[in-house]
Amino acid sequence: MSHRRLAINRLRDRSHLDPGQVERFVARFGSPIVEGERATFLFRGEADAVWVRHRVVGLPDPLPMRRLPDTDLWAATTDLPGGSRVEYQVETRHGDHYERFNDPLNPRVAHSPVGSSSVCASTGYAVPDWVHHDEEARPGRLLEEDMHSKALRRDQPYWLYLPARYTAVQRYPLLVVHDGGDYLQYAAMKTVLDNLIHRLDIAPLVAVFVPPRDRLREYPNFAPHARFLSRELVPALTERLSLVPTAEGRCLMGSSFGGIAALSTAVRYPGHYGSLLLQSASLVFTDIGTEHGGGPAFDPVVKFVNRYRAKPGRVVDRIFMSCGTYEPLITPNRSMVPVFRETGMTVRYVEARDGHNWEDWRDRLRDALTWIYPGPQKFVYE
Amino acid sequence: MPAEESPVQAPTPRTFLLGPQRFNQSATAALRSLETDRPVVTINSGWEEREDDVGELDAALDGRAVHLRLYNRMLDVLDKDRRFAAAALAIRDRHDDLFSIYRLRLQTVLAGAYAVQRRLATREDTAYGALDDAIDVVRHVDAWYLERLGALYADEDLVDSAASSEVIHWHRGEIAGALAGAGAVVLPGGNIATLLRTLRIFATELPPEVPVIAWSAGAMALTEEVALFHDRGPEGASETELFDRGLARVSGVVALPHARTRLRLEDRPRSAIMARRFGDRHCLLLDEGVVLEVSADGALPGGSRVLGIDGAIHELRRA
Repeated sequence: MSHRRLAINRLRDRSHLDPGQVERFVARFGSPIVEGERATFLFRGEADAVWVRHRVVGLPDPLPMRRLPDTDLWAATTDLPGGSRVEYQVETRHGDHYERFNDPLNPRVAHSPVGSSSVCASTGYAVPDWVHHDEEARPGRLLEEDMHSKALRRDQPYWLYLPARYTAVQRYPLLVVHDGGDYLQYAAMKTVLDNLIHRLDIAPLVAVFVPPRDRLREYPNFAPHARFLSRELVPALTERLSLVPTAEGRCLMGSSFGGIAALSTAVRYPGHYGSLLLQSASLVFTDIGTEHGGGPAFDPVVKFVNRYRAKPGRVVDRIFMSCGTYEPLITPNRSMVPVFRETGMTVRYVEARDGHNWEDWRDRLRDALTWIYPGPQKFVYE
Repeated sequence: MPAEESPVQAPTPRTFLLGPQRFNQSATAALRSLETDRPVVTINSGWEEREDDVGELDAALDGRAVHLRLYNRMLDVLDKDRRFAAAALAIRDRHDDLFSIYRLRLQTVLAGAYAVQRRLATREDTAYGALDDAIDVVRHVDAWYLERLGALYADEDLVDSAASSEVIHWHRGEIAGALAGAGAVVLPGGNIATLLRTLRIFATELPPEVPVIAWSAGAMALTEEVALFHDRGPEGASETELFDRGLARVSGVVALPHARTRLRLEDRPRSAIMARRFGDRHCLLLDEGVVLEVSADGALPGGSRVLGIDGAIHELRRA
């Protein structure tokens, strides 16, 4: 283990810092500076106070930055275990005026439906190679379609993914993806499917990416949503495409509230789906009382999860669950693993040193999909 | 002394099992050792849609290959004979269903065998034969699966539709003709399920008198029972599973191509269970560089590397 002092401390040790030294320091190291299991965040500029803002459970938020004397350089150092990946922003205060923005010294940015954040990746974290476009991988087709839903009383758009070389003489498992547009846009899911199928890591599959209209209403245990998937969309696709005709070949997938949508749909239609893929599912519950800390949006979630915990049922055969250890949902997710297992469902549970974000969910897709729908590697002996 | 007529000699089957050919092309030497100038027939349907991408294979076989194109023939059958296609797809669905239940049962009984093995690791006695019995249970599940699979293949609709299919009949005639005139048959690797499926549709039989050179999935297809294995797949180690019956040209062998890279051979207790599970059959390691000629009586040559019931790798003694 290296005992070399942190770069920021070596800079602090210098008696007089001129702007040129600070300039060279920032140019050399950028922000954040990752040294072993420590990360130092930097900011340059005039302000009354500066903080690092994040949602990492266990670290203080806001994380105050300290100004190096006689400079415009601010810094804060924190623990960052190997393999970690965290998203953050910088917040400044000028008098009564607060401003929050991505780290100007860090070019690495992650995107989500609510905007973008800066990314700090510690030693040992690498973006998986299978999330990038691979010219060798024959691309599947993504068809933009819609169908009228009596259950939802509207036309519901969706994207249909057909794997490369789709043919009616094969049977394909089906993956139903909640927040479908976001998975395609922020988790590169078409590229991921193309690559994992090409590598024989997962079975060639059909995926349907379904976007919500009113997410907070439709995802926490909403009967019309479950009916749309189970009585309209899946039967229509099964009739039209060459899909595995049994529950084993049907998987519901979702993250956050989408995970609740997947679980609650399976609870309403037990035995209809063979597996669930839940990423950072919002499995918030209370053991007593109604104070769950999630705000009104979580009320129906808590009601649903509490009811399920009171009478757990074996609604599918297998569940893949993942959760970031830095997100507030880690404790509810850990708590639900034995509840699911006790019903007789097979559960694979995976944690990552990451947060509640799309890149975490993207990075777990290989673990999840290779378990849900393993590829034909076991059949191929070249 | 009157000259005696020479008795008619039964053809001596010559069969070569090779290691993977990507980095060590021993197929060329094996073919040349046969000293035949007749056509070399290949069955590379395990390559699926790449079946016609045969440039490298042609070069390795001295440019003398005649490709049977069983995968393309299968697609032709499925396209032209709707009755057979429907029956075949129905059987495949039932096979998938049976296989999935077999896997479930297998995981459970193997977990039981491993648990007993761990418990007995420090005991000197056989503990009432507990491990032997646990392995018998695994064998029972294997036997149940193969028996049920056999019943699936005997499905009347499938058998009748194949027997009455003109397009299958036509392809079978062509295939039989090509095989009868062959100086050698070559079965490369690929997807073993597809390879077996195409062999089955066309009821392909390899004439005993025609030498066969096979590697990887091709070598597996020559055995009596085909086992699938991959301890290092992306989903983690999985149990070795029987998948189907093969052509049974080679008996008493469970073929394990790429054994070093695909199996956790360092886990000796696990390997021991595998070797004991397959009983009197040799778990034969077919790694890069292996060249084995199976003798006329079906015996493996000395030096063949097999898994022992102690979980270690052993070389068979040379005669």
